[in-house]
Amino acid sequence: MTVQLPVATPAQVRRYARTLARRHPKALATALVLHALAAIAGLGAPRLLGNLVQAVQDGTTRVTVDKVALAIAAFVIGQSVLTRFARLVSFRLGERVLAELREEFVRRVLALPLSTVERAGTGDLLTRTSRDVDALARTVRFAVPETLIALVTTVLTLGALALVGPLVALPCLIAVPILWASTRWYLRRATAGYLRENAAYSDVNEGLAETVEGARTVEAMRLARQRIRRTDGDIGRSFAAERYTLWLRSVWFPAAEVSYVIPVVATLLVGGLLYTHGMASLGQVTAATLYVQQLIDPVDRLLSWLDELQVGGASLARLLGVSAGSAEPRSADDPDGVRSAADSAGSAGSAEARSADDSDGARSAADYPRAGAGVAPALVATGVHYSYVDGRDVLRGIDLTVRPGERLAMVGPSGAGKSTLGRLLAGIHPPRAGSVTIGGVPLVSLPLDRRRREVALVTQEHHVFVGTVADNVSLPRPDATEAEVRAALRAVDALGWADALPDGLGTLVGSGGTELSAAQAQQLALARLVLADPHTLVLDEATSLIDPRAARHLERSLGAVLAGRTVIAIAHRLHTAHDADRVAVVADGRIVELGPHADLVAAGGDYAALWDSWHGRH
Amino acid sequence: MRRLPLADPGIPVHRSPAAYLRWLVRKQAGTILVAMCFGIAWMLAQALMPAAIGQAIDAGLGHRDTRALLDWATVLFGLGVVQAAAGVMRHRLAVSNFLTAAYRTVQVVTRHSVRLGATLPKRVATGEVVTVGATDIAQLGNALDISGRLAGSVVSFVTVAIILLATSVPLGLLVLIGVPVLVLAIGPMLKPLHRRQQAQRELAGDLTTYANDIVHGLRVLRGVGGEEVFARRYATRSQRVRAAGYRVAGVESTLDATQILLPGVFVVLVTWLGARFALTGVISPGQLVAFYGYAAFLVQPLSTLTEAADNLTRGLVAARRVVRILDIEPELPEPETPDPVPDEPGEVELADAASGVRIAAGSLTVLVVSGQPSAARLADRLGRYTAGSVLFRGVPLDRLPTAEVRRRILVSDTGSRLFAGPLRAELDPSGALGDERILAALGAASGADILAGLPDGLDTAIEERGRSVSGGQQQRLVLARALLADPDVLILVEPTSAVDAHTEARIAARLAEFRTGRTTVVLTESPLLADRADTVLFVSDGVLAAAGSHAELLADPAYRAVVLRGEDDDRPGAAADPVADADADADADADAGVGVGAAGRRPGAAGAGAGRSGTAAEERIGAVAGDPTLPAEPRRAAEVTE
Repeated sequence: MTVQLPVATPAQVRRYARTLARRHPKALATALVLHALAAIAGLGAPRLLGNLVQAVQDGTTRVTVDKVALAIAAFVIGQSVLTRFARLVSFRLGERVLAELREEFVRRVLALPLSTVERAGTGDLLTRTSRDVDALARTVRFAVPETLIALVTTVLTLGALALVGPLVALPCLIAVPILWASTRWYLRRATAGYLRENAAYSDVNEGLAETVEGARTVEAMRLARQRIRRTDGDIGRSFAAERYTLWLRSVWFPAAEVSYVIPVVATLLVGGLLYTHGMASLGQVTAATLYVQQLIDPVDRLLSWLDELQVGGASLARLLGVSAGSAEPRSADDPDGVRSAADSAGSAGSAEARSADDSDGARSAADYPRAGAGVAPALVATGVHYSYVDGRDVLRGIDLTVRPGERLAMVGPSGAGKSTLGRLLAGIHPPRAGSVTIGGVPLVSLPLDRRRREVALVTQEHHVFVGTVADNVSLPRPDATEAEVRAALRAVDALGWADALPDGLGTLVGSGGTELSAAQAQQLALARLVLADPHTLVLDEATSLIDPRAARHLERSLGAVLAGRTVIAIAHRLHTAHDADRVAVVADGRIVELGPHADLVAAGGDYAALWDSWHGRH
Repeated sequence: MRRLPLADPGIPVHRSPAAYLRWLVRKQAGTILVAMCFGIAWMLAQALMPAAIGQAIDAGLGHRDTRALLDWATVLFGLGVVQAAAGVMRHRLAVSNFLTAAYRTVQVVTRHSVRLGATLPKRVATGEVVTVGATDIAQLGNALDISGRLAGSVVSFVTVAIILLATSVPLGLLVLIGVPVLVLAIGPMLKPLHRRQQAQRELAGDLTTYANDIVHGLRVLRGVGGEEVFARRYATRSQRVRAAGYRVAGVESTLDATQILLPGVFVVLVTWLGARFALTGVISPGQLVAFYGYAAFLVQPLSTLTEAADNLTRGLVAARRVVRILDIEPELPEPETPDPVPDEPGEVELADAASGVRIAAGSLTVLVVSGQPSAARLADRLGRYTAGSVLFRGVPLDRLPTAEVRRRILVSDTGSRLFAGPLRAELDPSGALGDERILAALGAASGADILAGLPDGLDTAIEERGRSVSGGQQQRLVLARALLADPDVLILVEPTSAVDAHTEARIAARLAEFRTGRTTVVLTESPLLADRADTVLFVSDGVLAAAGSHAELLADPAYRAVVLRGEDDDRPGAAADPVADADADADADADAGVGVGAAGRRPGAAGAGAGRSGTAAEERIGAVAGDPTLPAEPRRAAEVTE
């Protein structure tokens, strides 16, 4: 069912890489120049050694030998000093670009519409935030500078070789066709092969993790054989993937290595022939041979980083692809939103022009009055249909007016569409047909941060963020004072245990920190909600993981804090329904019963039957 | 190449990390030896190349001898071909050695993990075992992978040493002493680099964790906001990684420069001395070029030596973790001479001495547990996940083989997990059941709608940890799986905590029917489930407090407080709801704020639970024990004491 998030096209990746390069022109130029100078310095030694061999052959003095040796030493020192700074500049540039890349990526992720995330599942996104960011880091840190250096060195070495003598330089070219063909063959297959290898390796890991984390279930359900089979199967697939890439290397490595030795042999042979015919000096032949040998290293490095570059490119495409889907409208990025916020003081002038775009004569986001006075505007669903999969409506014609300040409980069997309706009422998804409006404005047209000041959603999903308890609570209002955070925690009965933690509200929680129970996590989520203080709250099983009696108490104290707010509570515990102003029974995508608890019990329908059963009455 | 995975990974030696590493080596000694042979051929071919070039220059060029030039060029080419061929073979064997060690370790750890079962998470953090898969197996692989190159390095170093000394003793000594000094000189520089790299890796790891945290919490964020805060916090951490990267860059660039400088200066020294010797005729010009080549070449075998030492150290660290896991033994001992299990259940299938709970054979019993120990702990005792004095058909559980206990008694608790794979295999791991039976169990667990929502029905692949289905759906699938396992005794802990009341009612109605004639124990606080039970046992503070039907027990305020969750009792008793008393003011506010419901009576002091004494409990146990069929008449602790 999961759909992958989009991936950027090669053209988009190239364009992005170009803008990236243009962002730091000075640092990039400095790095390139320094690397070139270092490479040139590195070319001095073979040439001078060639001269030395020639001089020795011709007969020379000790002084000349000493002078040449000193000159070589000077080049070596120069090369190492230049390399030091060249590397420093390029490493730092890499780190900077990398930081920009990942920060931009996370901003993109944070702006993703939730519906996109849900359709793709978090798995794909997690792979991108971890594996792709890591792969790109390797590429930017090592592959890009190494290939650049290797390229510069190769070109300059070839230049030096040509300077020694164009004739002795020519033989090295005979390796180019073999190298070209074999590398091309390899690179066409390598990326897919290594990606498959990594995926298979992750499967081995996932399988082991599953076995270990579910060890008790494995014992209880007597799944030992199945788990062993699963791991052995994963290993088999991982081995097949490894064999494939090994086969690629088994072809490419020997071809490349033979291509490296052929030019050395050819240079020696051709140079020797030229020398015997007096067309080249011994020094030239020696220098040429040494240069050709010296070429092996940068060429080899250049080639071996190419597949890493490919992998990095693929990762970059996946990171950039995240934003290819539409982002949520946000007032910060959205000039319209900013303007509408300014307009909210009362004038609806500019809104007139835009309201034409809105369907059904609903007013636009701009002229929706942002009521600071605490009076919640009415939330109205009209003829709402929704489907996750085309042709399979989960909601089929919901009409519901939630009165301002009302407590509405939604009950109904699993899969009836309660949660979906909750999400639509919170503006997470737009309806497929019909409308969900607040104060007459379609909810999804509001910029994200505004929408959330109107309607907030807390689900049973209990996630504790890495950070302190206070961090976790103050998410919606980072400027909240400690007193406000404490008040919010008190409102959800959580202050007691939070204060009892090793460092109180400053205790680190979440992955790697102090572990909180699911119930405590839900309390944090609700405290967050208290701080966010929206007009309307949708609570989707928000207290389901808390001990039922404590949950009831919590709901009441929460109710006190949120007095006057509209609350839509999706619940599977009937006491929530019992406490509510009205109960909506959702079944099969429709609201089948709607009214106060007492009326529904009196009516003797579904709800009444459930209520009786709860009380042991048949 | 060896086919992997191995059919039998063998029985690992886990006396010590070194012993484990040795065991791995012994198990694949053949391929390691062959890898070493190819490694030697590969390195020797490279080591001899400078000699061939030198000879070509001397014999061929120096004497303008085309024949000799051609011969030496052919030798050079031959060495190149040998190097390429031996190189690829060495590489293939190295990969094989790496993979065999890595996979074998995964296999033995997996086999040991499933043997340990429930003991494993109690004795070791799951992250520890996952680390074995994530990094340790690669370290172990590397420790074995390097064997070929190591052998080649040693042999080639010795060979070059002999050639050098034979040519010129002083130059030979210079190279042989100089190169190790060089490698050793660079060694200390590696430490600060590794330290800084480690620091950066850790920060980068934290950053990844943080990014994953954001992704995991994205839905929560979408509900209440906080994106900007997270973007900022991420950026702060990201900049910390960058700063650490700058520190790495400082050392690394210096190291890179040193790695050019030291060998460079050394080569200059060799060349200079060589040229002087050549000038006096001690060595030939070709030998001078060869010396230059050797000096450059020898750096490689020596860095391989340091790499091997490094790999071995890391391999031992990795082996330590593996050994630590392999050392764990199952928590509960197996009986040396197990008793046989009676085939026919008596009237009482399961009896727990500590609580006085007795489960009638073939019945659906609901256990409502209040206070400590919790329901989960009680279930653990009944299913022998913790030690306890429990009789199964009259035989103490610790007199039975654990495998037999698991086969007969299934505890499905709230921590039960789904695994990745097709739904059919998930529900019926044995693969022996027909679709009809599976669908019936799904129906009993009220999970038919889940199936309808899956694209390929029973053949749909469920993702890792059941991620692709919701919490409530997971719980129903787990229930269906437990039903299909069809054990003599099925113990379910809060099987409906994550489903809605409608579904819960359906499950309650169908559960008894599906388990007709089989013993089923449900530990729950749900009135809907209790309502359908043959017998409800109310266990308070670890002892049986009352038994009867749900309707009968509702007369007991303590029981009522637990199952109705204060439905119509505002203050369900001091013992039952400490929160209410601790925060009475907030409670009062809450009542005012909500203003609905909660008008019910307040039982004075809610004393039902108060009068329970040890003797009363014992009497009750006696009473229940005397009549295992557990008549419908409710026995209340309060009555006994009164």
